[in-house]
Amino acid sequence: MARIQKGDTVLTVGTRKGVFLLHSKDRRRWKSRGPYFAGDTVRHALLDPRDGRTIYAGVTSEHWGAIVSRSTDFGDTWVQGKEGPRFPKKSGLSITRIWQVQPGEHEDLYIGTEPAGLFRSMDGGDTWKSVEGLNAFPGREKWQPGNGGLCLHTILPYPGDADRMLIGISSAGIFATSDGGDSWRGYGAGVRYYGQKKFAEKEDVATCVHKMARDGADPDIVYMQNHAGMHRRKRGDGGWKVIENGLPIAKSTKGTFGFPLAAHPHDRGTVYAIPLEGDYNRVVPGGAMVVYRTENGGKRWEPMTKGLPHKAAYYTILRDGMRTDTNDPAGVYFGTLTGELFASRDDGDSWALVADNLPGVQSVEAGVVGGR
Amino acid sequence: MAEGARVQVSVPYALREYTKGAENVAVKARTLAQAVAALEERFPGLAYRLLDDQGRMRRHVIVLVNEESVGHRDPASVDLSEGDTVHILPSTAGG
Repeated sequence: MARIQKGDTVLTVGTRKGVFLLHSKDRRRWKSRGPYFAGDTVRHALLDPRDGRTIYAGVTSEHWGAIVSRSTDFGDTWVQGKEGPRFPKKSGLSITRIWQVQPGEHEDLYIGTEPAGLFRSMDGGDTWKSVEGLNAFPGREKWQPGNGGLCLHTILPYPGDADRMLIGISSAGIFATSDGGDSWRGYGAGVRYYGQKKFAEKEDVATCVHKMARDGADPDIVYMQNHAGMHRRKRGDGGWKVIENGLPIAKSTKGTFGFPLAAHPHDRGTVYAIPLEGDYNRVVPGGAMVVYRTENGGKRWEPMTKGLPHKAAYYTILRDGMRTDTNDPAGVYFGTLTGELFASRDDGDSWALVADNLPGVQSVEAGVVGGR
Repeated sequence: MAEGARVQVSVPYALREYTKGAENVAVKARTLAQAVAALEERFPGLAYRLLDDQGRMRRHVIVLVNEESVGHRDPASVDLSEGDTVHILPSTAGG
């Protein structure tokens, strides 16, 4: 098996049937390892950017529960935590799936689960604690599931401030904490209502957030793909603002519909999105695969098509199906539900198919061995 | 081995990585909950695979005692007797 060395780019591709690792020195030629956890669904896995060596995988067996496993030798061996995450008895809840794994600012590691829950580990995933400020949030009983279930799918720590975090729950909405998770508040003002030209006036609103990403250069700016449109919000703003100039618009929602969203690692205002036709047909519009990029914070989006199939490509890309690496120029990667994996090594200007015939891709993450 | 009735537990293929490949494991237990606890003591991590957050058998796990399904009764309420066999199976669902 080819060695993985410092400076190599590693892709962790979570699929319906296990996780695959792809690695490359030049991002032209890729070698693969795996699948690991074959037969189980890996909704999310990533190379921890803090050490550039530990890979965490959220592994869900529909029969035998959901676990977090880690590898420090790029898949040769995996270690399962001593205790899996569990909701407290008083909640009456039980975890069925792990949707997200997210390293925090220090030693903390988070997972997002279904039913919607946030759990923190301070020992690399050996033991977990329920973040009760959120998991026992008043009004939780009113939270409604989206099409994928009532899942906590996005966790955005705030670089440089371990007390701050945003999370997204389909379809309970967006929540923010500024005290390390002890208390949470809604963060949904300004989100457009489904199919209307009206916008949420209050922060405390249930909205179907699909994915959020922080700006790579300014963590105060967050982009959000919502069921009802594409949005942007800067800390201190009164609410989210719609940013859809140049993006396809769905007939049903009257906004841009889609799931994946990824920020450029360095360039302020550069973000990637893959809109789908609409909630009535969750494939790329017209069978043409297009990644949209904005370089000015959403004032204008441009289609990136070079190297992508432009006909008979009825791809679906899930919410964690696209990510960037930390190289310069940045790599951008996305995987499809039909098992294709595309990569760009030039900020999204051009693309190449680097793998196909994979099981349905649930998530793609990209990291560099040795850390940030 | 702790006090209790001697019972034989059949471990499903998917979980034999915990039992180092063993299909049949003998434990002493008076209830299904005690049998799971005995398995956990010998094979750490196995109980998490069987029980949900509330201590119930996971939704898609089937348990047969002497070839009779115990449904999703509280494992503490499922009595075991000397010589019983406990089969743990995945439900035949999924894709």
